[in-house]
Amino acid sequence: MHHMLHIKNGIVVDPKNGINAEKMDIFVKEGKIVEESEVDVKEAKVIDASNKLVVAGGFDMHAHIAGSKINTGREMRPEEMRTVRLIAGKFRASIGRVLLTSPAIGYEYAKMGYTTAFEAAQPPVGALHTHEELDAIPMIDKAALPVFGNWHFVLKYVAEKEWEKLRAFLAWALERTKGFGVKVVNPGGVEAWMYGGNCKSLDDEVPGFNVTPREIITGLIQETENLGLCHSVHLHCNNLGTPGNYQTTIETMKLASKFSNDKRQVLHVTHVQFNAYAGSSWRDVASGAAEIAKYVNSVDNITIDMGQPIFGHATAMTGDAPFQFTLHKLTGSRWSNKDSEIEGGAGIVPIAYLPKNPVHALQWAIGLELGLLIDSDRVVLSTDYPNGGPFTEYPYVMAMLMSKKMREKELERVSPYVQKATGLAAIDNEKTLYEIIQMTRSLPARVMGMDNKGHLGIGADADIAIYNLDPLSIDTANDFEAVYKAFKTSAYTIKGGEIIAKDGELVKEIWGRTFWVDATSNASIEAIDSDLNEMFEKYYSLQRQNYGVEEAWLRKPERLVMG
Amino acid sequence: MLKLKPKIDFEVSVEAEITPQLATLSSDEISNFQVYYGKEKTKLGDLFEISKEGDDAKLVLDGDFSMVKWVGARMDDGEIVVKGDIGDHLGAYMTGGKIVVEGNALDWVGAEMKGGEIVVEGNARNYVGCAYWGDMTGMSGGKITIRGNVSNYIGEKMGGGEIEIFGNAGDFIGTEMKDGTITIHGSCGFVGGDMKGGVIKVKGSFEVVPGFKKVEDGFEGDVNVGGKGKITQF
Amino acid sequence: MPETKEEELTNVICTFCGSVCDDVLFDVEKYKGKKFCKLGSAKFSKKERIKAPMIDGKEVSYEEAIEKAVEILLNAKRPLLYGWASTVNEAIRLGVILTEKVGGVYDQCASVCHAPGTLALIEEGVPGGSLGEVKNRADVVIFWGSNPMEAHPRHPVRYSVRAKGLLIKDRKDRKVVVVDVRKTKSANMADLFIQIKPGYDYPIISALRALVKGEEDAVPDEVGGVSKQQLKELAELMKNAKYGALLYGLGVTQSRGRDRNVENAIKLIQLLNRHTRWIIWPMRGHYNVVGAGDVPAWEVGYTYAIDFSRGYPRFSPGEFAANEVLQRGDCDAALIIASDPVAHFPKASVAHLKKIPVIQIDPFPNMTTLISKVVIPSAMAGLEAEGTAYRMDGIPFRVKKIIDTEYWSDEKILELMLEKVNEKLGLR
Repeated sequence: MHHMLHIKNGIVVDPKNGINAEKMDIFVKEGKIVEESEVDVKEAKVIDASNKLVVAGGFDMHAHIAGSKINTGREMRPEEMRTVRLIAGKFRASIGRVLLTSPAIGYEYAKMGYTTAFEAAQPPVGALHTHEELDAIPMIDKAALPVFGNWHFVLKYVAEKEWEKLRAFLAWALERTKGFGVKVVNPGGVEAWMYGGNCKSLDDEVPGFNVTPREIITGLIQETENLGLCHSVHLHCNNLGTPGNYQTTIETMKLASKFSNDKRQVLHVTHVQFNAYAGSSWRDVASGAAEIAKYVNSVDNITIDMGQPIFGHATAMTGDAPFQFTLHKLTGSRWSNKDSEIEGGAGIVPIAYLPKNPVHALQWAIGLELGLLIDSDRVVLSTDYPNGGPFTEYPYVMAMLMSKKMREKELERVSPYVQKATGLAAIDNEKTLYEIIQMTRSLPARVMGMDNKGHLGIGADADIAIYNLDPLSIDTANDFEAVYKAFKTSAYTIKGGEIIAKDGELVKEIWGRTFWVDATSNASIEAIDSDLNEMFEKYYSLQRQNYGVEEAWLRKPERLVMG
Repeated sequence: MLKLKPKIDFEVSVEAEITPQLATLSSDEISNFQVYYGKEKTKLGDLFEISKEGDDAKLVLDGDFSMVKWVGARMDDGEIVVKGDIGDHLGAYMTGGKIVVEGNALDWVGAEMKGGEIVVEGNARNYVGCAYWGDMTGMSGGKITIRGNVSNYIGEKMGGGEIEIFGNAGDFIGTEMKDGTITIHGSCGFVGGDMKGGVIKVKGSFEVVPGFKKVEDGFEGDVNVGGKGKITQF
Repeated sequence: MPETKEEELTNVICTFCGSVCDDVLFDVEKYKGKKFCKLGSAKFSKKERIKAPMIDGKEVSYEEAIEKAVEILLNAKRPLLYGWASTVNEAIRLGVILTEKVGGVYDQCASVCHAPGTLALIEEGVPGGSLGEVKNRADVVIFWGSNPMEAHPRHPVRYSVRAKGLLIKDRKDRKVVVVDVRKTKSANMADLFIQIKPGYDYPIISALRALVKGEEDAVPDEVGGVSKQQLKELAELMKNAKYGALLYGLGVTQSRGRDRNVENAIKLIQLLNRHTRWIIWPMRGHYNVVGAGDVPAWEVGYTYAIDFSRGYPRFSPGEFAANEVLQRGDCDAALIIASDPVAHFPKASVAHLKKIPVIQIDPFPNMTTLISKVVIPSAMAGLEAEGTAYRMDGIPFRVKKIIDTEYWSDEKILELMLEKVNEKLGLR
């Protein structure tokens, strides 16, 4: 049952539609935002939003919320699961400190005013598992990005310059995994890991394939664009977590320079904080954020997300298996690894970011530098949950970006190393509320190519967050505590036109959609049919006919056909 | 002093996080103290006969408490005397005070305890002074004495304090131990795997796992973790 | 009758062991499988079934049996819901939620086989890989306390011993080692068999770690029945592998040392990865025992031995594992699904099961049927019901329904049970 809603007298911030703190009413019918004339005002439920901020629901475009990685993380870390958030009753029991159970993920996003979250790395052969977990997350809309950069088909087609086949393979794989876009993790490096190595530079050759990361990235951007996907290549760069790697990152970004797209970026570089280190060792490591920011601001075809660390517990989990092993050696902590058929791999290592630890403080500062120095229509707010920490602390990052005063206060408690190795203390920039809403709503929606998300224009999904914050009177630079508190729990979270949370309490459990992208009509799958048969026969341990996910197996799939 | 006696034979286990501090509360508060009987949330007074004499922080548990878990967990002062057997997690996380069990205990005696003293006159089972799953450090202070025998996993990941077993023990004594002392008067199985520091003394027979080097007064290791733990026979 | 041609048979996915062979075929007309191993083919052939739902041995409707089962679960102070490893994820998920709602204890078959591996995962993580990687890359495979020839008969051919792939083009490219306490059938196919003294896995692994680390002095001349020389050779073999796989079984997890054996082996693998590539993985038994742990992990945070008496999940294997619960007399009702504890559990556990009301859900009659108050027959997943199952390496498969049946699937039974429970608890 979809009620009509009349959200009255709210102060709307809607960057996509250029609305900056205007008092206006919003009308909702059948899960969409509509004109006033569409709604029978007498029938509609009225929500008094006077003196409150009204924005689109938050959109987390990069988080690890479903699939074998986060689940192995839970299995490895029972100590993470002892935090009890909700006792079973009308809603499910909800537990977890930073690693949350699936119900808890949905509940916590909803309480915070977030209504969409995407799983950022889906191992293709494990796609069904990822979807089962997405289906177990209530409250929000979701999708998953399958990982391509070390898949033997990709390595082979790039090496052979078989572009038509590469394009067909991308379309085939997205359909089979019910995936949303092309995620690339340490291209070539994970294949090298199968021999104990890595690809740290763009020109390291991938063992057995006569191909380099430079060629893989370029080829994947080219065919993602040729296929006309709504999302660009989504890249976790080579050389992650290494002092000096900011140069690899900029060099990688330059690979996108010959491509362009009217609607969006052609390359999204993710959790850049982990790829923004200057220096030559952990002894002289420093921030490379300013150089990266300079480059990103100078071009219009690249977006990034922050990968902001939050002090406290976190769990590093990525498809970058060789990096995870390095982290295990550095910290001596538990280490899980998964080499996965001929598709790549993954690793998991628990970590805690400590303010007094010089490297951790540096990472924290670099994330903020990126958020502050890069234009707000190019940088998305993320913690790369749970790699940088909890998504539930996004309000902390929002408040920090808006307040130099808060940053100065926080700087007092972190390692002084930050003062000499980063430029954070000297940054005067304070993001506006408008920019923060951009970084958490309209920009991530644009980055993912979701026209109906991230804004409050007519026809948009009625995913709306209302916060106890009056944009017309709040002094975000000074009242950072009020800002933090307001964004922590929404006054109302509305998903698809239904009130799902109110004042930090859950109201109703609903199940969102899972989006997937069908681009099969833009490519000739027959071109790779015999290759698929041959590779499955020789190198997979399962049958081609049993590979992949059917739409009918999903709770609420929504196919997006690429025209 | 507060005396508790089970009113019935418990069908399923009871979880009662009672500490000596309970004895200092009013009779009403004591009777209404929340406990779990299986999935039923119930009151202490519904399951136990309660008699209170004065306000000193002392609990006397009279009867079979072997189905009662978490007694003395997180206690920081005062005294508990158990006249019979006791259930799991006795004195877990405790930081002070004393617990004496005249009968037997089950698993997790003094798990992650930081201070105080536990004496069990009978036997205990597994995980004495250990770390809970996923935690990095077991017992880190205080003393646990078991007059009888114990089973496996004793003082694992121990970071300090003292465990003394007068009977025999099973396998995995002081695995991943970092500091503190374990003394076993009887015999035991595998000792000291991945030990980083601390001392294990055994009077009877025992099996040192490879990774220890013979030194003048016993063994030192575990070399697999660059450890300097000590195992000696006395 | 002439053999039916392969292309006329239906592809099915075997729902017997953790190998989850997905290349097997079924002839619906003849009710006969093809390409199956002995174990799988026994499951995929006509067998005695539980005829109808029963209460106290009297035939009733599904609805009546479910009504009774719900009453038992809700009236219990602490019901145990056990089994799960031989059903599909969709049913397991409902079972986990059901356990949460009735404030019971969820436990699954792993607690009597591979759970020690889960505990080791908590301590150290698990450096692993999929079976396809073993097939493609492993030039050294060690079966430690595992006997695939008898427990996972097609594993050696499909994945591990004779399987060919990217780098392994021939059986000769791969060295196979079996470590066990007796000369098993699998030992016969090995290039090297090392017999160890029962109960000495732990010290032998410690010795290997010391040898790989170059700490020879800390290793005595003989450990667990194996000479230092032979251990040195094994350590060298492991170091010299390009990509090694240590595949362990119940010999490691269910003998002296249990979880500590696995933890120690994981530490050995961590160390070896500083020299070359190695992975370690358990040879899981039931076809979906991985799902029986993974599903509760995402729903409620833990894989087995989970108690919900406080309305939220808690994990404590020494307390909430089925045998602990039963032997302490710490449950007053039980639901047993896709398992036969009466046949396989120790006497003391069975004795308590006999004292309490038991609900059974299973396609086939077994010893547990005989003591059950409520018996609910179900469709056999993989043949009569579809759903998701995780192979031993976590790779998900959708097992198939190719035969129509009057039997309800586990999923449908549990769905109605959960609906009734919600109704009685006044939730929606």
